[in-house]
Order: sequence, then structure tokens, then C-alpha cells
Amino acid sequence: MKKKLRIYKPFISAGMQEVSTYRINWIFFMIGNVMGCFVSYFIWKAVFLSGDNPIMNGFTMPQMVVYIFLMFLTSTMISSGGTYDIGEEIRDGSIAMRIIKPISYNSTFLFQELGSKFMTVCLLIVPLVFGVEIVRYAFTGSVQFEILNFLLYILSCVFAYLINFFFNICFGFIAFVIKYLWGANMMKNCIVGFLSGTVIPLSFLPGTLEKICLLLPFASLNYTPVMIYMGIYHGAALLYYIGLQLFWVLAFWGLSKLLWSVSMKHLSVQGG
Amino acid sequence: MIKVENLRKEFKKTIKEPGVLGSFKSLFHPKSEKIVAVNDISFHVPEGEVLGFIGPNGAGKSTVIKMLTGILTPSSGSCTINGKNPTESRKSYVKEIGVVFGQRTQLWWDLPLRETYAVLKEMYEVPDDSYRKRMAFLNEVLDLDAFITSPVRTLSLGQRMRADIAASLLHSPKVLFLDEPTIGLDVVVKDNIRNAIDYINQQEKTTVILTTHDLADIELLAKRIVMIDKGSNVFDGTIPELKSKYGQIRELHFDTDTKDVCNVLAYREHFGFSDEDVKVETEGSMVKVRFNSSVVPVSDMLSYTLAKVNINDISVKDADIEEIIRRLYMQGV
Amino acid sequence: MKQLKRMFRMHRIFVSQEIKRMMEYKGDFVVGIIGFLFAQANNMLFLWLIFSQVPSLMGWSLEEVVFIYGFSLIPKGLDHLFFDNLWAVGHWLIQKGDFDKYLTRPVNTLFHVTVEKLQIDALGELIMGISLICITLPSIDVEWSVLKVVLMLAVIPFATLIYTGIKIITAAIAFWTKKSGNIIYMFYMVNDFAKYPVKIYNSFVKNTITYIIPFAFTAYYPAEYILTGANPLFNIGVSMLIALVLMFLGVIVWNRGIKAYESAGS
Repeated sequence: MKKKLRIYKPFISAGMQEVSTYRINWIFFMIGNVMGCFVSYFIWKAVFLSGDNPIMNGFTMPQMVVYIFLMFLTSTMISSGGTYDIGEEIRDGSIAMRIIKPISYNSTFLFQELGSKFMTVCLLIVPLVFGVEIVRYAFTGSVQFEILNFLLYILSCVFAYLINFFFNICFGFIAFVIKYLWGANMMKNCIVGFLSGTVIPLSFLPGTLEKICLLLPFASLNYTPVMIYMGIYHGAALLYYIGLQLFWVLAFWGLSKLLWSVSMKHLSVQGG
Repeated sequence: MIKVENLRKEFKKTIKEPGVLGSFKSLFHPKSEKIVAVNDISFHVPEGEVLGFIGPNGAGKSTVIKMLTGILTPSSGSCTINGKNPTESRKSYVKEIGVVFGQRTQLWWDLPLRETYAVLKEMYEVPDDSYRKRMAFLNEVLDLDAFITSPVRTLSLGQRMRADIAASLLHSPKVLFLDEPTIGLDVVVKDNIRNAIDYINQQEKTTVILTTHDLADIELLAKRIVMIDKGSNVFDGTIPELKSKYGQIRELHFDTDTKDVCNVLAYREHFGFSDEDVKVETEGSMVKVRFNSSVVPVSDMLSYTLAKVNINDISVKDADIEEIIRRLYMQGV
Repeated sequence: MKQLKRMFRMHRIFVSQEIKRMMEYKGDFVVGIIGFLFAQANNMLFLWLIFSQVPSLMGWSLEEVVFIYGFSLIPKGLDHLFFDNLWAVGHWLIQKGDFDKYLTRPVNTLFHVTVEKLQIDALGELIMGISLICITLPSIDVEWSVLKVVLMLAVIPFATLIYTGIKIITAAIAFWTKKSGNIIYMFYMVNDFAKYPVKIYNSFVKNTITYIIPFAFTAYYPAEYILTGANPLFNIGVSMLIALVLMFLGVIVWNRGIKAYESAGS
């Protein structure tokens, strides 16, 4: 196991190097995303000011602020670019080359992404968590940070990342059908964004729709970790949602294996 | 025709630091150093000449070519073609030149080849009737008709190179820059490309600047060579000049029935050659002796050899240019 | 004049090729357009869900907010449709050294790069924008006059140029940094602020999108004039002025960038 990990060490550091090489770009990308958070923040502020009700679908204004920024942090932590990676290979036919590689290509990609993610998370998690806690403190007058929730949040993010990683790889196989990956990926991101609560908390959806969304794998991506951090899920619910995440990790892992072997058969029939 | 005077280019390069800590450090405190890629290079090329521009990898060849083609702005110095200077008026300068980069096509990937030429016609403002005549000529030289309706992305490498050369010649430029025009091509296609270049040079007196790692291109096409290394000009002259300056290497080829020639012929001991100045290879009864004729004259070598062994057939040859350049690159001059 | 004609002829060849290509890969283009429709639909859903909670947003009705949003998509879509290749400059053309070829051609590089591609995906935004305007206008009480219609149509190309100008400046940064895709991205995210009434923001954001990165002039201010008829000189006139200033700056930054361009690769 240790030896196996050593093989992948260069990929982790390559991922980290990537971030520092394009550091200016990376910083601007993050600022751009934070800006998106502020647009939502101002809209919600206006909503709470325009309405008479201080609680909307279970969210107070400070909770909504926390929700927006945690959503951003979570999305960044669990994002994965597997769709393009595999899709491009399918498009140019180099996917057939994977058979002859001695190390698993999925893993090298995973580790490289983890490398760049490590940098990202290190640089983002402290200021964002700190900021979120200040907001919570300012509104409630007491420290709301709970170490247990935070640790569970990290665990849940790891599961969410794995779901996303395998889901994106599965989605990448769509390149067999649709050549224009960019458009397909955009559609996917929109649907996933909405169903995972990035656009609006799922509790704002009408009752049945909310229940369905919570069962779908997408809620396991962003919504579950954020709800855990905010302390909304606890006890049996907490166990249920983490269990559901684990289920989806396994489901998409299995699906990616299945798609992989099916496409390999397809390739060998077609002759690459 | 082409005048290059004290051309110089400096780059800034960020230094990457290794390790996790290094990654973080260079995230906040990038360090950089100045690199002189091209160090005051000067040369002239008269009209109609084919100039071979060579040098080992990383010598600054591409940087020079990119300055000469108006892509890079020199840090100092100048290059002019027909009195036109790319830093002053890039647009009128590039009308005088045609450029082919072997590694990278300049054609529009998705457009059919014919449309690509139609766009270039507009760009270079080629009048209708000269365009027709030109296309007929290029088609004759490069045989484009077979694939002129296909999108560029579907062309084979050889077809693509022909298409690229035709594209660079569409506006009848005075100077043609060819950067690795035969890279990755098979022998037959290489020959076709070389012949086409030669023909165009003969017919139209087009000045050609040729960079390549395939020295056969240079030997077959170039009259003159400019060689650079580490950003500086190290040789400027004709191929015979190069040979006489660095190429006192001669090869003695002979056929003998004497057994164990290597021991019989003790060149090293007899003449006091150093190790790199003489080399003996045998293949059956054929013997090849490569030696430095500035250390020992050819006549002495001949008479010693003839005295020692029984010879059926003997000849003296110049070392080929490839050998000279290999030595030059390795020594770093 | 002759130059202009030559440019139009070149542009026509590129556009007609792009359309031919679109016909060849119909499915892909439909996917792209639908992708962008989806992105906008997401925001519509968001607005709709929000307005199910409150009757109005700081005095603006759902229809009015959607109208502003829809209007914002038109200049954005037009810029996206015609000048999208600037994204490629910031993302990879310079980094991979593919920018070289533009410099060996006797054509203005900025013009050459921008007209080379037509981004059909942008039709998604344009379709959405026009639909939203058409759906909301009947239920908004707007006083129409000839002048208003003329100004509304006239401001659209200028609003488009605000986008293009900012995109040129940010893309040109790549001449120094090799890659500026994410700077363009960052500015695009700022533009999200401009899709909603500026009244909802604090003065910092309001001043930023009015005076520093003037995206508010691409959507909110012109739309405000159309809806209320207020302040045409500021809402429309300044929009036009800013567009010209930004384009001017864009050309200057671009030309300086060309001088600093360092190419890439061997």
C-alpha cells in the first residue's frame, strides 16, 4: 500500500506545482467565484428585507449567508475535472492507450487532482471557515463553531468528492454520443448545480420535489456536507445522509467500472 | 536583402522551487531571473540565396526566427527586409515574407483547404487574376488538387506541409522562412518538398531561410550556413568553408586482404594522433579510417597505409557535413 | 474604406464556414445552445422561487427584474457570439504559442483574432434574452415613445462593446502572464452583479459596477431608462461613452501587449 502510494507521489506534487505556476490565474478564478457568492448574498439580503418573515423555509438571514459561503467552499473542495479528461480521450481515440499503461490512469488523475486540491483547500478553508464563524458570532453573540460538525463536514466532503469524481468519469463517457463536450458539460453542471442546492437551498423547493432531490445523488454532493456543518443534520438523520453518500460513492464507482469495460469491448470491436 | 544587426532578446524566467514549501513560496513570492536567449547576432542574406540556419536545441534559433518573422519584438538591434522593419510596420513587413512552421500548421483546421486560400487571398490582397495564376503555379509545383476540397484537419502530414508551403507562397513573398519543413515526413515526401523548395528558389529568386535538424535539407538546398549556439553566432559561411574550417576530417576507404588490419596499422602510435583525431572501422574486408588531416597530411597517411597493407582499392573522402556538425554541437564550440 | 471591405469579406468567409460547420455537427450545436439556455433557466428558477417568498424585491416586481435580466443577456450574447475567440487568447492561444500565426499575417491582430470564430452557443443566451423581454414586457407598464425605441436599439451595440472592451483588456493581460483566462472569468463574474437592480447592493458594489468595472451600463442602467424613462443622458449616453472609452483603452493595451509577447515553445 505504502509502495503504491509512493508511485503516485509525483502526481500529487505535479498537481501542487500546477497551482503555483498559474498562481495569478488561480487567485483570480477564486476571486471570481467569491464574487458570485456576493451576488447571491445581496439578492438574499434584499429578499429578507423585502419580506416580513425573518425565517424562510427554515433559513434566517445569517444562516443564509453561512449557507452561501459554505456552498462555495464545498463546491470548490469537491470539484473534479474528470469529464473533460476522459471525454477528450474518447474523442481523439487515445483512450485505447489506457490498456497498455502499467498504472491505473484513473488513479494518477485522482492523485494529481488531489495535489492541486490540497493547495486550494489549504488556502481557502481557513479564511472561509473563519469568516463564516465571524458572521455566526456577529449575529448570535456566541461562538457557534463545533469541532465535531467540522470533522464530520470534512468526512462528508471526502465522500462528496469521490461521488463527484466517479460521477464525472461516468459522464465523460457521453463523449461516445455527444462530440461537443463543452455544451454537454455545461448542461450537466446546470442540472447538478440546481439539484445539489448550489442555486437555492433545497428546502425552498415544493415538498415532494425536495424529498426526491434529497434522495438523488446530487444532494449528496454539496447539500449534505453543508447541512452537516450548519448542524441541521444530527443523530439518525446524520447517519442516514452519510450512509446515503457512501452508497452513491459505491454506486458510481461500480458504474464507472462497468462503463469502462463496456467501452473497452466497444473499442476492441471497432478496432480503436 | 535581409539585414540582421546586433539582434538581441532577453526573457524573464520564473524559477520554480521544489517541494511543498516551494510551491507555497512561489505562490506568494515568485522569483525570476533574466535569460539572454539571443546575444547580439548579425548577418546579411542577399537576394535569391538559400540560407541554412542551424544550431543545437535551445541555441536560440527559434527566437531569432520569431524575431525575423515579426512575432517577437527584439530587446535591441534590428532586422530589415528590403528596408522594412517589423517593429515599425509589422503589416507591410510580413507582406514581404512567407512563413512555414513545420511543427504547427498556420492553416485553419476546420476550413476546407480551398477556403483557407480564399481567406489568405483577402488578407494579402492578392488580385483575382494573379491569384488564379498563382494557384495554378503552386498546384503544379506542390500538387494540391488532390486534396484542395478537404478540410485541413483531414490532411496527411505530407499533404499538410505542402498546403502550408503553398499558403506561405500565395502572395509571392520575397523571403520564405521554413522552420523544420521536413519534420516527421517520409523519405519520398521529404524529397518532393526539397525539390519544390529548390524549384521555387530557382524560378522566382525567392530568398529562403531554412532551419532544420535534418542536415540533408541543408546539404541539398543551402549554399550558406549560419550556425548559432547559446544565443551567439558561431559560424557564418558556405558549406565548403565550413568543411575547410572545421572539417579537416578525411576518410580513407580501402579494401584489403591483410588479416588483422587494426593491429598492423598503428596510426596512433606511428603519427602520435590523440584519441579523437583518428578512428578505424572495419567491415569484412572494407576498412574505414577517419582522421584529422590537419594533424597528419593525407599524403603521409596514404603512403604509410600503402606500405603496411596489401590494398585492392583505395579512396579518400571528405567527411560529411553531418559529422562536422555533430562535432561542433558536442564541443559547444 | 477598401480595408473595411477586405475585412468584411474575410469575416464573411469565416462566418459562412462556421455556419457550414454548424450544419455538419448539428447535434453538437444544439447541445451548446441548450447548455446556455439551461444556465439561464437556472437563474430564472432561482428568481421565481425567490419571488414565491416575497411580492417584490426592493420595489421591483418579478417581471421588472426578469426584464432587466433578459435585457442583460442581449449585449452579452452578441459579444459572446461575435468576439468569443478572445477567451481563447486568454486561455490557450498565447500559452501554447498558437498566437504566432496572427503576427505573421498582414492584418490587424485584434481584428484577425476576433472575427475568426463565431460562437453559435451564444444563441442560447440571445434566445433566452429575447424571450424574457417578450414575455415580461406586456405585463410591465412602460410608456413607449419613438425616441425610447431608437435609444433602446442604439444602446445595444454600445453595451456589447463594453463587454468586448473589457474582454480585450483582460485577454491582453495574457501577453504578459501567458494565461489570463481566469482574469476574464473574474470580470465576467462581476458582470453578474449587473443583471439585477443596483438598488439591492451596498454603495461599494454599486460604485464598483458603475465607475470602476462599468458592467452596470451593459444592462441595469439602459433597462432602467426603458422601464422608467428616467435620466436618458446618464443611462444611455454614459453607456455609449463608456463603450467608446473601453474600446479605445482595449486597443492601446492590446498593442502594448503585442510588443511584450514572448511566444512559447521551442
